[in-house]
Amino acid sequence: MRTYLFAAVMCLLTGAAQAASTEADFKTALAAAVAAEQEAGALKNQWIPTEQALAAAKKAAAAGDFNAAVAQAKEAEALAKASIAQAKEQQTAWKAGVIR
Amino acid sequence: MRLRLKSAQAAILAGLLLGADAQGQALPGQALAFDRSKGNCLTCHDIKGGDAPGNLGPQLADMKARFPDRKELTAIVFDETKRNPQTVMPPFGRNLILTDGEIEAIVDFLYTR
Amino acid sequence: MKIFRAIASVVVTIAALAIAGARPATAADSIDPDADFKAFRDYFTKRFPNVPLNDFVNGPYSMDAELRKQWEAIDDFPPYDFAIDRGKQMFATPFKNGKTYGDCFPDNGVGIRQNYPYFDLQSGEVITLELALNRCRETNGEEPYSYVKDEMASLTAYMAFTSRGKPFDIKIPNDPRALAAYQKGEEYFYTRRGQLNFSCASCHVQNPGNHIRTEVLAPALGIVAAMPIYRSEWNGMGTMSRRLVTCNRQVRGVPLKPQDELYRDVEYYLSYMSNGLPVSGPGARP
Repeated sequence: MRTYLFAAVMCLLTGAAQAASTEADFKTALAAAVAAEQEAGALKNQWIPTEQALAAAKKAAAAGDFNAAVAQAKEAEALAKASIAQAKEQQTAWKAGVIR
Repeated sequence: MRLRLKSAQAAILAGLLLGADAQGQALPGQALAFDRSKGNCLTCHDIKGGDAPGNLGPQLADMKARFPDRKELTAIVFDETKRNPQTVMPPFGRNLILTDGEIEAIVDFLYTR
Repeated sequence: MKIFRAIASVVVTIAALAIAGARPATAADSIDPDADFKAFRDYFTKRFPNVPLNDFVNGPYSMDAELRKQWEAIDDFPPYDFAIDRGKQMFATPFKNGKTYGDCFPDNGVGIRQNYPYFDLQSGEVITLELALNRCRETNGEEPYSYVKDEMASLTAYMAFTSRGKPFDIKIPNDPRALAAYQKGEEYFYTRRGQLNFSCASCHVQNPGNHIRTEVLAPALGIVAAMPIYRSEWNGMGTMSRRLVTCNRQVRGVPLKPQDELYRDVEYYLSYMSNGLPVSGPGARP
């Protein structure tokens, strides 16, 4: 029982530490996501879910929910980076599928 | 050792065998697998319980026998291009289409097929 | 001095090859559209030995007998007829300045669809039929049409109709820019994109005749021949631009702008691969 209580308290503490995303945190996270999405754009390989996550991040921030906003912005950045990785890998990998 | 099941336990066991959880609901993995915005598996695979499947991929049946190693099946859902670079199966994990939890749930469901 | 001679001999060799009409080789691999064309054609005819060559232009109907029956049943009243009629009327209606579409095209724009896209050596770019139509409008003081809506579809439906049955005759001039555009089109076609990681080839080279849910996939051979199409799923006409945009969206890729250079390049590539096959547009699809 004591173990459970300890674990619960720890969860609450760490949870509380993560809960306080600020507008500054959001701006940083958004800037990173936007920069990555721009790079994906230059490679002509943006993904729809990235755009959706960026929109959701901005909407959450406008509503003052910076926890959600930061989470969405980080998701957008991850998606954008995955799309960049795809484009870069495909620059050579595309040839393997060509009918010869 | 004699195994005696109480009626409730028997019901749960039957439910699990039929692809349901203890409450008799369909497994969450089935909903994820059939959801077009999630696994969308029926687009390419024939799976018992689903309608109008596509045929780009093999039928998903006999999964326990075909994939005794859960890690192997999970890896296929996560990124089949690792095993087959020319696959048309989307890399559900690598491309962040599904979360790790969602993949786990779908793999759980597939093992009931 | 030895280096001088070596360079000179290389220059002479290149000059000799150029005179002989050989296509210039690029630094990496050399681009050989003729070899690609043969390989492409052989791949589909071998995979589908019972499909007559010209039938590939009918897309999914060449792949699936049941689907074909449904298609033939509506052929008495083709759903694109209204688009042809409208396109014919638009062609006959002068712009505000008195000129007509015919003035922008060879042969008054009649029976020429099979020559598009072509590579314009002066501007150094691929010119598709849709692009040429909007440039015609702009040159004559008119607003361009949306590439994905009905006006453009009506114009191209009419022009395709006047070329029905004529074999595609796409040319790649012996010019590095044209070859580069062709290759960029080939690259686009085979490149995986979108969150779902599909290339055009994933469906149309690897899986023609198979079905995603209930939708039968068309072969890439002849896939542009029926454009523009009346698509039942869309309850309306779709231009080439619309199809490329929606394909991108279906794999969760943000589409490029209609008539983006890459879209024109891939249309160029696919049209060249369809050389010899008959224009079948405008078409009907499920």
